[in-house]
Amino acid sequence: MSASADGNPYGIYRVTWVILLIITVAMLAAEALHMPRWFLVLFLLAFMAVKAAMIGGNFMHLRHEHPRMRIMVAGGIVVTSLILLAFITPEARNVKARTTAPPLPPPSATHGHE
Amino acid sequence: MNDVAHAVDMGADWGGGVSPFGATWQKTMMWIFIITDALLFGGLLSGYGYLRMAGQSTWPATHDVFSIPFIALMTFILITSSMWMGTAVTASRLGDRKKALNNLILTILGGAAFLGCQAYEWSHLIHEGARLTSNPWGAPQFGASFFVLTGFHGSHVLSGLVILIVTAVRTALGKTPAQGVEMAGLYWHFVDLVWVFIFTLFYLLPN
Repeated sequence: MSASADGNPYGIYRVTWVILLIITVAMLAAEALHMPRWFLVLFLLAFMAVKAAMIGGNFMHLRHEHPRMRIMVAGGIVVTSLILLAFITPEARNVKARTTAPPLPPPSATHGHE
Repeated sequence: MNDVAHAVDMGADWGGGVSPFGATWQKTMMWIFIITDALLFGGLLSGYGYLRMAGQSTWPATHDVFSIPFIALMTFILITSSMWMGTAVTASRLGDRKKALNNLILTILGGAAFLGCQAYEWSHLIHEGARLTSNPWGAPQFGASFFVLTGFHGSHVLSGLVILIVTAVRTALGKTPAQGVEMAGLYWHFVDLVWVFIFTLFYLLPN
């Protein structure tokens, strides 16, 4: 049951605030636990997504909006983020190396002795 | 065809009446603005990710450069100000002008405190030799990434503060409808949302 359904229209903000603080503390503490790097990265990214969803859903009231609005906002941002992330994958970073033109030959070989 | 008939036709085409997103045009446009602004930060964060992963030099360990507890304090301030902003939006919607105004003022104070912390952090790093093109800790792109990301975010916080001050004054005068407070709130929460990404991706992500 939501906090507003209990009669306190402001309760949802306090609950969200507490959860966001707990998640933030957990993210800070995670670095001290010496967990494997891949797990730490996954942990941080997962909690970042949870925090973003809580801010968007509860603070910005997106979960109360029309489904079309939710799809427009969440879908647009997620799809574009994935496209942007594709630019920083190892494959994308190698594009520069693969498309760099070979060095030009010395001037004497191209222009002769005019 | 008159305007009303045209609107009805459009509604039939979209299947959502004259309000296909179930919101007023002001709110719909605010959301579209937020999406475009989110794409701006998405591009900046992607650029930062590229620089960090494609650079030849070692990326500095952020806990060697920044005081992470201080950055956590900034995060706490911004999250708390978002809670106050949400309370102001709901109070305004319920017609409790005094509560709305009080929470708007608290939000403004929180935003100003955040900006103060950011000014301190910037001056501290500049004093230690960080510049847009170089820094004493490692990869030269580190300075550019830091100043561009936090600078853009800080400018959004500053814009948000101006909007909030105007909204608070107009609320005190009884001139801002509930929707006006809600629009200001959407922008402020967006500023908080962007910080969640910067805090995780720039300050916390390990090398």
